[in-house]
Amino acid sequence: MSLKITVSKSTPPTVKLAGRLDTNTAPELDRELDEILAGGTLEQLVFDCAELDYLSSAGIRCFIRARKAVEPGGGKVALVHPKPAVRKVLEIVKAMPGGIFTSTAELDAYLDDIQRQVRDES
Amino acid sequence: MGTASLRPSVGAFSTVRARLLLWVLGVTIPIYAGALYMSRVATAARLEAGAERDADELAAKLAAEMDTVIRLIEGGIRTVAFQLEEIDPPPTQYEQRIRGILAAWPDVYGSTIAVEVSSDGASAGPFAPYYFRQGGAIGFSDLAKASYAYREQPWYRRAVDGGKPVWSAPYFDKGGGETWMVTYSVPFFRKLSDGRRALAGVVTADLDLAWVRKAAAGAPLGPFAAGWLSSPPGTESFVAPIGATADGSGEGSATVRAAGEAMLARRATFGMLPAGVAAEPAYLAVRNLETLQWRAMLLVPRAQLLAEANELLRRQLAWGALGLALLLAAVLLVAAGIARPLHALAEAVSNAGGDDLSFRLPERTRRDEIGVLTEALRRLRDSLQDHIRLRAASLAEQARLKHELEIAASIQQAMLPKRASAGDLPGAEVAAALLPAREVGGDLYDYFAVRDEQLLFAVGDVSDKGIPAALFMARLSALLRVLGAEGQLPDRLLERINERLAEGNEACMFVTIGCGVLDLRTGRIRYASAGHELPLLLDLEGGVRTLAAENGVAIGIDAVADYRLGESFVAPGDTLVLYTDGVTEAEAADGSLFGAERLAELLRDARDEAPAPLVQRIVDTVTAHAGGFHATDDITVMAMRFAPADVEYGRAEGAARWLVQVDVSAAGIERALQRVRGVLAARAVGADRIHDVELVGEELLTNVVRAAADASGRRLSLECALSRDEIVLTVRDDGPAFNPLELERVDLDAHISERRVGGLGVHIVKELATRCGYARAEGWNVLEVRLSREHAA
Repeated sequence: MSLKITVSKSTPPTVKLAGRLDTNTAPELDRELDEILAGGTLEQLVFDCAELDYLSSAGIRCFIRARKAVEPGGGKVALVHPKPAVRKVLEIVKAMPGGIFTSTAELDAYLDDIQRQVRDES
Repeated sequence: MGTASLRPSVGAFSTVRARLLLWVLGVTIPIYAGALYMSRVATAARLEAGAERDADELAAKLAAEMDTVIRLIEGGIRTVAFQLEEIDPPPTQYEQRIRGILAAWPDVYGSTIAVEVSSDGASAGPFAPYYFRQGGAIGFSDLAKASYAYREQPWYRRAVDGGKPVWSAPYFDKGGGETWMVTYSVPFFRKLSDGRRALAGVVTADLDLAWVRKAAAGAPLGPFAAGWLSSPPGTESFVAPIGATADGSGEGSATVRAAGEAMLARRATFGMLPAGVAAEPAYLAVRNLETLQWRAMLLVPRAQLLAEANELLRRQLAWGALGLALLLAAVLLVAAGIARPLHALAEAVSNAGGDDLSFRLPERTRRDEIGVLTEALRRLRDSLQDHIRLRAASLAEQARLKHELEIAASIQQAMLPKRASAGDLPGAEVAAALLPAREVGGDLYDYFAVRDEQLLFAVGDVSDKGIPAALFMARLSALLRVLGAEGQLPDRLLERINERLAEGNEACMFVTIGCGVLDLRTGRIRYASAGHELPLLLDLEGGVRTLAAENGVAIGIDAVADYRLGESFVAPGDTLVLYTDGVTEAEAADGSLFGAERLAELLRDARDEAPAPLVQRIVDTVTAHAGGFHATDDITVMAMRFAPADVEYGRAEGAARWLVQVDVSAAGIERALQRVRGVLAARAVGADRIHDVELVGEELLTNVVRAAADASGRRLSLECALSRDEIVLTVRDDGPAFNPLELERVDLDAHISERRVGGLGVHIVKELATRCGYARAEGWNVLEVRLSREHAA
């Protein structure tokens, strides 16, 4: 079993994960993220975890790295549709405080809110 | 086999000839002897009767001869006495009268008239002149001599006392006639004036018995050897030999006559003399002649009397012997006529032995029973020869079939997989046994590796037994190999096999089969069943359960069949046992079947057995249950233990434990976690909890692997122990002492810009575990994490 990564350059950019994100597969995701993050400052990055079965600390490191790259610039990293087991791990380590959404609508509302804040600040 | 030993031995007295002879003689001789005996008895009786008649005749003749003399004299003397009474002459005339008597009867030797002396008698004194023959003249003697006292003499006294004529007993007249005599005395009376009669005297006549001798000697003896005329007993015995008899005064004749008197006393007239009386056995005939009570006794030796009978017997015997000899010859002739061809037949048939029935029978056809027998034997021989030829052909055919069957059996055995060596099948130990009820059977087992570390295994049972089943099984085996090697999953595999076997299945044979694929990496079993007994699963802890699967229709019945795939997991150390109904339906002498429950019990009892001894034990137990009876169905057992090389398994302190050797690499970690996942799935741990355990395992192993700068030579293992309530994961590595549990705690609430990227693994472990512990022991880092078996919501 392995990890399948699908990157969508839409707005917001979405990384769709399927399978296992563990010690073995985390480097793959790191490489993808390096590419995405190298393209300039992102305002938003969404991980779609609907088909992610397994997540270990190695995967969480990827998410935190993404956050560290995006959030200091005012961007936001969000995670949507996690399975309960995955969500449980995320919550244990408080990897995505306030950034986990169970539905796309919820996520969209949140992202709109973020955008508005950014606009107001600027 | 020698023909001599087969020849029937016929005893000398068992031959037809001997028995015919014995029977004929045995019947003939008694009949003949009986006839001879009766003939002889009859002849003897006839001869005896003849002798009696002869004795009667002789006696009558003698009596008649005596009467002619005696009666004449009696009449004459009584006439004289009458005249003396009537005329009463004076005594002077007596001489004249006496002389007259002598003149009248020449047999009279002498005579007297003796007067009675009485007062009124004719004579006052004794008077008794006696005249007798003396040569040619007449002599005189006066009996009145006082010295003689005639009135006292018996001849006088008896006549006077009796008052009637009386004969004296014979006597020998010594000094007188010098001869044997009898005297006849007649009393005479005188009429008295008063009418009474008074005794006047006695007239006598002395009779010379010489004539009696002459008469006796002149009488013919007839058949008799000797005879005597004798006076009655109690008198001086006078004996006159009859016929040519030697003088009978001897002692012999006296005893014979005494015996004759004894016979008369008991009124017998003819009979055998008592033993010892005569020199040889003899008959005696006795007659009382009435006249003077004289007796005639006639003796004839038995041999002489029966000489004729004996002669007749001799002649009869001679003729009889001749007849018997002729009869014997005839019997022998007939017997030989029967026995010779019979003997020839027996000889011919005896020469035949074993399968050689080519004996020669006499060609000449007879018209009798022997001819019929010969013909029957010929037909019997011919049909037996035909039968033997057929049997030989049939035996050869049978031998050929048996040989072919043996070859077929070895071919069929060759179709079965050889006992797997460790190299052939890494990850599983398999053992199987197939005991066909006949030379070849319809049972089947097979297992072989297919790609991607998959092990395909199957056990099947063709309906029916013997060659048809074996052929069907061969097709099934080939299909299983070919289609199975293509990597088909069991459900699809069975469907395709069914398509092929159901097609043109005119014999309407069918097969039940269970087929599964074991994933040697995870322990996952995917199994489909076509009407076959579901396998039993014996787990490491000793539990036995039926493998979860759904049974479909047997193969070969429907053109299109649909099978469902069942999925389950086995842990290393678990053993899957497949079998055919020959096991569960093995029948004991009392009719009880072995049954699945007994099999399960056996498995529980044998939980630590390796597959090979386990299979042997099942086979032994089942055959013992059947009591050594020949199995009526094929018996097949296959045991497959999941035993991957990188996992050690065992039980300790009520918990099953699996120790996985982990390659110090990311791939090694993944593989180890796969093992643990499989174990937990096999033990029905919930998916969420499996996830947790996997997470813990990964975090711990990753820590070690990441910390190891140089992986070569490092040893790492992950142990999973499973008790009723707890899952205990233990990670051991021989790296430098390091306790990850003491790592600085990550600040999870720090702002993202401040936050550390790593260090989350230990935190996750601590969160999920109910307890964690570290120890350094003998150069090993030992990290133990306990989780509850149930998933906390």
